[in-house]
Amino acid sequence: MSHDTHHAPVASKLDLAPERSDLGLIRPDRTTGWRDWLTTVDHKKIGVLYGAFAMMYFLIGGVEALAIRTQLIRPDNDFVTARMYNQLFTMHGTTMIFLGVMPLSAAFFNFLVPLQIGARDVAFPRLNAFSLWTFVFGAFVLNASWLFEFGHLAGWFNSFDWHKALVYTDFAPANGWFSYAPLSGTFGQADASLQAPRFTGVGTDFWIIGIQVLGIASLAASFNFICTIINMRAKGMTMMRLPVFTWMTLVTSFLIILAFPAITVALIELMFDRQFGANFFNPSAGGQPVLWQHLFWIFGHPEVYILVLPAMGIVSEILPTFSGKALFGYPIIVFSGAVIGFLGFAVWSHHMFTTGLGPVPTAAFALLTMAIAVPTGVKIFNWIGTLWGGRIRFTPPMVLALGFIWMFMCGGFSGVMHSSAPADSQQQDSYFVIAHFHYVLLGGVLLGLMAGLYFWFPKIFGRMPNAPLAYIASGLVILGFNMAFGPMHYLGLAGMPRRTHTYHAGNGWETWNYVSTIGAYILGAGVFLAFMNLVWTAFKGKKCASDPWGGRTMEWSLPSPVPEYNFAQSPIIASRDAYFEDKHGGRRIGYENDGGNAGVHMPSQSWMPLLAGAGFLFIGLGMPMMSMHVPHAGWLVITGLTVLFVGIWLWALEGPGGYMLKTPVAPSSSGQPAPAATTSAH
Amino acid sequence: MSQAADAHDAPTSTGIDHKKLIMWLFLASDCMFFGTLISTHLLYRKLYPTGFTDAEGHQHFIQNLFNIELTSFSTFILLMSSFLMALAVSAMHKGEIKSFRRNVLGVIFFGLIFLGCQVFEFTHFYHQGLTIQNSVLGSTFYVLTGTHGTHVAIGVLWLVLLYFYSFTGKLGGHMGALDVEVAGLYWHFVDIVWIIIFTAVYLVEYLGPSGIWGSGLPVITK
Repeated sequence: MSHDTHHAPVASKLDLAPERSDLGLIRPDRTTGWRDWLTTVDHKKIGVLYGAFAMMYFLIGGVEALAIRTQLIRPDNDFVTARMYNQLFTMHGTTMIFLGVMPLSAAFFNFLVPLQIGARDVAFPRLNAFSLWTFVFGAFVLNASWLFEFGHLAGWFNSFDWHKALVYTDFAPANGWFSYAPLSGTFGQADASLQAPRFTGVGTDFWIIGIQVLGIASLAASFNFICTIINMRAKGMTMMRLPVFTWMTLVTSFLIILAFPAITVALIELMFDRQFGANFFNPSAGGQPVLWQHLFWIFGHPEVYILVLPAMGIVSEILPTFSGKALFGYPIIVFSGAVIGFLGFAVWSHHMFTTGLGPVPTAAFALLTMAIAVPTGVKIFNWIGTLWGGRIRFTPPMVLALGFIWMFMCGGFSGVMHSSAPADSQQQDSYFVIAHFHYVLLGGVLLGLMAGLYFWFPKIFGRMPNAPLAYIASGLVILGFNMAFGPMHYLGLAGMPRRTHTYHAGNGWETWNYVSTIGAYILGAGVFLAFMNLVWTAFKGKKCASDPWGGRTMEWSLPSPVPEYNFAQSPIIASRDAYFEDKHGGRRIGYENDGGNAGVHMPSQSWMPLLAGAGFLFIGLGMPMMSMHVPHAGWLVITGLTVLFVGIWLWALEGPGGYMLKTPVAPSSSGQPAPAATTSAH
Repeated sequence: MSQAADAHDAPTSTGIDHKKLIMWLFLASDCMFFGTLISTHLLYRKLYPTGFTDAEGHQHFIQNLFNIELTSFSTFILLMSSFLMALAVSAMHKGEIKSFRRNVLGVIFFGLIFLGCQVFEFTHFYHQGLTIQNSVLGSTFYVLTGTHGTHVAIGVLWLVLLYFYSFTGKLGGHMGALDVEVAGLYWHFVDIVWIIIFTAVYLVEYLGPSGIWGSGLPVITK
């Protein structure tokens, strides 16, 4: 049953003879164009797709944010209704977290991890494609709620009986990104159709199923990445030689697989409450809404680190490159990242200080929250230590990375203020909290991810972003960001509440809300400009060499764009920063005697991950439509489950396949590298 | 499938096969999944020691509902299915495909008995008045044990597919044994989770005169 013996190694996949899978269907290996993108199992293409979707959703989430800020530009404004405002801030938060930051991080994981560890792909290429398409369909389901909302506003559904029977007609999620029960849940007794009265419309059902599907995508991707990092390192690539970005990917992936089950269960319970009249969070039947808060934040707080650790990994790659120094305190940075991961599970109740947990838990969670500032601070000091005495080059990625350190620190400072329970009681649900987490997630994560985009775009596309434009965009982002969110500290302490669609004049909030909105416009222009520069770069940018920045990690040793087999010959690594040391004298990289005319084994492309993922589209649209009592919507769910099952089944039966690809031989570089002298080189 | 049929088969850094490693990772994740469900049940059980009120307004204690002999029997059956699963994996490692088929049929049969017992139990409880809608207990009990039952059902489906796949002749060698072993890991895990659920949901109700849940806690009756 050997597949690779059917064909001699080929120079290009287009030279392959058509090969049938175990099912008898022709494998889509020789496709080009859109078919190639839909069936690809190449981690680099999957990474690019993740990145493209993430940037699109960043812009959508950004438009939602600008609508919120426009509404708040002056007191008693009526730019949007209160009902629309609720949907806007909910979808803004949900979009930015689940459809913006997480997939953009996943884009980096996908593109970089195999390259950084000297592997030719991830452990499960088809599973990787499944994660991508599940994310795409989950994201679509979540945003399909907007289509229903617009249809409702346009009056398209008015003639339907199910629409007339709806009590609540908010079609987009409107509970906030945390969907607190009981607002998101039910009250009273279930009726004959097993449904209890609810507080909110089907938007919540869209949210439940959308997040559930996105969770499946994240879980599948994380299993894959942990497997890849633990099991597919090149020879000599020990754990303590892994680039920090790869380390942070590993920690993040562990956080995902251990934190997401809590939200999965919480969503199942909420779904049972809403769809089948269960009582998990129904206060009239004895359900405890505070349980939702616990379950949500047991997931939600690790989620914060899921968002921020990849950005920290990116910055830990960029700072050494543009300081011309090895990362200061590598083991401590790695260790701090792992400690942040562990502690991230022990601080969730600091989101709930005002629920009345009692003095002992409150004190314990306050202390643990303060403790988490220690490893974070350690990282900051190590980054400063990396910069110290270095030859700093202020390239666009470096400017953004420095911005990350500074802005993230500001967010950290206000974070430590929240950890004090009495202070938090004053700040709870005020704009101070908004200021805090936007400094962490925007000033921190977004700047870090943008730095990463500017840093690795030359590797991904072999083209250089326009530098002057990049500086202008970075300046606009940092300026606009501080103008938008700096004043919110003051507004929050002056008593302005979150999630309120307007405010009256005379509270002293007018000026700073105006400033904040202008800042948001500048920020929006900056992000848009930065993204347009990147899109332009991908297609039209000036071609550049394979290592334009003087990089340190293995991905820079490869041509740009990276060939589909990554490494023509598998590398053998002799030290941390092996590529950098190898470039500057020491022989730190050798190559195994593989590849060449014997070829490299490539995984076959497949339609099945896309098919299986498409099942979630039907499930995701069907469940909320069941809630709307749309006739026969249940069949949509059954269709979805069938498509999912058939997709996975055919996937199992088609066999992994694969073909051999010839690679260029570089005889001079093969053989064992000289061992690293000592770790003092770092 | 040949050893080199897939890039997965290249020697791994740890020496552990990718498929086995990813299954362990999935099980780690599933631990948190069931941990959350079991916690939900126990928290509510502690809060509401009185069980549930049926449609006629009668209070029911859960001990009166349980048929511990039946559940012990189905637990024993599930444990024995794990034993057969171990035999099936061992047979596959030795390349004894016929022995594998015999044992895996046994696992499927025992899994179906377990599921049958659960269906019987659910029906019985429903007729006794416990529904998903009428109490928190009903919600937590049915969702927790139902989720476990779904895991068992997926396991049975997986093994049925493996059983039929073995007749295509493609299930063999190292990769075949690995596929069976991974299914076995899943099956054993689902079994272990049941042992915990059986203890935490059923057995503890029988400790002391009225269970370990004691009194003196706020009791909310409708």
